[in-house]
Amino acid sequence: MEFDLHKLTKRPSFPFETIAVGLSFSPRMDLLLTEAKKIADACSSKLVLIHVGEKTKEKQKSLEDILFRNNIEERKVKIIWSEGDVVDMILKLCKLNIVDLLILGALERENIIKFYLGSIARTISRKAKCSVLLLTQAPSVQKLKQRMIVNAGADHPKTVPSINTALYFAKHMGVKEVSMVHEVHSPALAMAMAESSSAPEVTKIKKEYTEEESTKLHSLIAKCDTGNIKINEKVIKGKPGYAIRQYAETKKADLLVINSPDMHLTFFDRIFTHDIEYILADLPCNLLIVHSRV
Amino acid sequence: MSKFTHSDLIVLLTAIGVILILSRIISEMGRRFKFPIVMGEIVVGILLGPTIVGTISPEFFERVFPKDGTVSIAFDGLVNLSVVLLLFVAGLEVQLPLVLKQGKAAIYTSFLGMIIPFATGFVAAYYFPMLLGQNESENVFFAIFIGTALSVSALPVIARILMDMNLFKSSIGMLIIASAMFSDLIAWLIFSFLLAMNSASQSSMGVGYTILYIIGFGLFMLTIGKKIIDRSLPWIQTKLSWPGGVLSISIGICLLCAAFTEKINIHAILGAFIAGIAFGDSAHLHEKAREIIHQFITNFFAPLFFVSIGLRVNFFENFDVMIVGIVLILAYFGKVLGATFGAYLGGLKINNAIAVGFGLNARGAMEIILGTLALSAGLISSKVFVALVVMALVTSLTSAPLIRKFYAEPKK
Repeated sequence: MEFDLHKLTKRPSFPFETIAVGLSFSPRMDLLLTEAKKIADACSSKLVLIHVGEKTKEKQKSLEDILFRNNIEERKVKIIWSEGDVVDMILKLCKLNIVDLLILGALERENIIKFYLGSIARTISRKAKCSVLLLTQAPSVQKLKQRMIVNAGADHPKTVPSINTALYFAKHMGVKEVSMVHEVHSPALAMAMAESSSAPEVTKIKKEYTEEESTKLHSLIAKCDTGNIKINEKVIKGKPGYAIRQYAETKKADLLVINSPDMHLTFFDRIFTHDIEYILADLPCNLLIVHSRV
Repeated sequence: MSKFTHSDLIVLLTAIGVILILSRIISEMGRRFKFPIVMGEIVVGILLGPTIVGTISPEFFERVFPKDGTVSIAFDGLVNLSVVLLLFVAGLEVQLPLVLKQGKAAIYTSFLGMIIPFATGFVAAYYFPMLLGQNESENVFFAIFIGTALSVSALPVIARILMDMNLFKSSIGMLIIASAMFSDLIAWLIFSFLLAMNSASQSSMGVGYTILYIIGFGLFMLTIGKKIIDRSLPWIQTKLSWPGGVLSISIGICLLCAAFTEKINIHAILGAFIAGIAFGDSAHLHEKAREIIHQFITNFFAPLFFVSIGLRVNFFENFDVMIVGIVLILAYFGKVLGATFGAYLGGLKINNAIAVGFGLNARGAMEIILGTLALSAGLISSKVFVALVVMALVTSLTSAPLIRKFYAEPKK
């Protein structure tokens, strides 16, 4: 299979012209397709269904039934049956079909061995060269419309494209309110303050840091097209990834939007957990990982 | 066996009280001139110790800080506990994911900022020990120690300098902090290994077993141990008294790890340091809990330890201009050159790379702890120790102005 990588280079992360769905023929596949169909309709996207595994008559019949129940016309979607390594093949097919968004079903928490070895959905999330939507909850588009949280890391070049992608998605899904959250982590700050700081100094330093970060977040959002969506801005403290995961869980978020990882993640990143790995270890809600090709 | 008497208790309590109050007063005076707090504590040690009070009034010095007897044993116990806890807080701030996140700039800066000073120190101490006042040539332990001593950085001092310069959250600040964390980690591992080798050479335990124990303990604590701590912390912080629960459990685990490593002939500091890393890496550790642990240890145990240094050594008698000069030259040359070159290779402009070099050159408290332990283990002489203390203070004091001189703010 040959594909033209030039088509992917610098391709913007939205609009979602092509949405792919990874099919595993699990009991939740029906619900996953229902959801994917609604998102594709809302974003006027082309739908590509991918299954990596043996093509059997039972699977074909099951897929036909699901498509029928979801009112999806077979001729309007592209169905790809392929064999080989599931992760590699899905990643390859996404590149080949210039997929903008890949939708996968995922458990909120994998068992510990599977997590460390790498489950399919999570491994794809770490490696994908397109945006990935992991649907965890019993899917319902209604839910996606309610509480949407965007990780707006103010110092990262991927953040503005990610916020714009999140806003594009929110507008098409009819979301009225979005929370933009900026995580602040200051390693060794406690040590620096313990070294020699008076109480008013400590308060002043902490206040200044929070104000500085709030200003950064505010000016970042000002660069984005928020349209009629109501934006809530929030600065939270804690380790990146972990803090926003906790925040999403506390706020009972329906969708959390984050940047794609900056580097190739390995087993060691799960041992010395950081950033996206905190979120993948225990998904607080549905997760949209925006891959901005900046 | 002699008992700890009523009068011994009075002497011990008086000594601790005098140390805490005097070091606070002197450190607060120094703070006005942006001197690191450890400098005030060292000055108090020099004042109270054999250098000043011990010379002027030996009877008074011997009465309050006796060299032998139960008071001395009790005070030594406290000092040992202090160094273990200081290493615990040092470990608490080592966050390996931060180093990974800073990418190639941090990796190059950390590695070259370690390797070049280590090589400089090792070669100088191995081939030219007479320059450092050593008679024995080709002493591997001494050479490894000097190499390690020159490659360590002092995260607390560096963090404070960056905070005062408003560079704490800048990209250059994060690079310096991440590189210092990594240097600390490697330096303490090498040093623990060195102490273990030194004691293994005098005991029945073989070198192979010592290495096996170090690797086994480190791997266990940084994987399974870390996960257990991570899982337990939310329960500890919500179900037990706050902040007493997290304070006693974390320090308790630190002391158990320290006792374990001491038992298997690796120094107690390694257990404490690794316990600190395991706790500090947990995202569940509340920022407030981290601050409380730091405050408790930095303000009670750190003065006891740093003042005790001046109580042991006569700084005037052991001040050797040549050794001090050589240690200073080696320290500046190796660290600044290595870290600058690393940061430059990592993509920084030359001016900022030099600023990183001078940032990482601050040795502060970590160097002094390292030197004290080496002195106790008989690896170095008092003259080399005094030179290391002077070097730690000079590098810490010159770090901020030199960063300021070279650092170029990014254009907005």
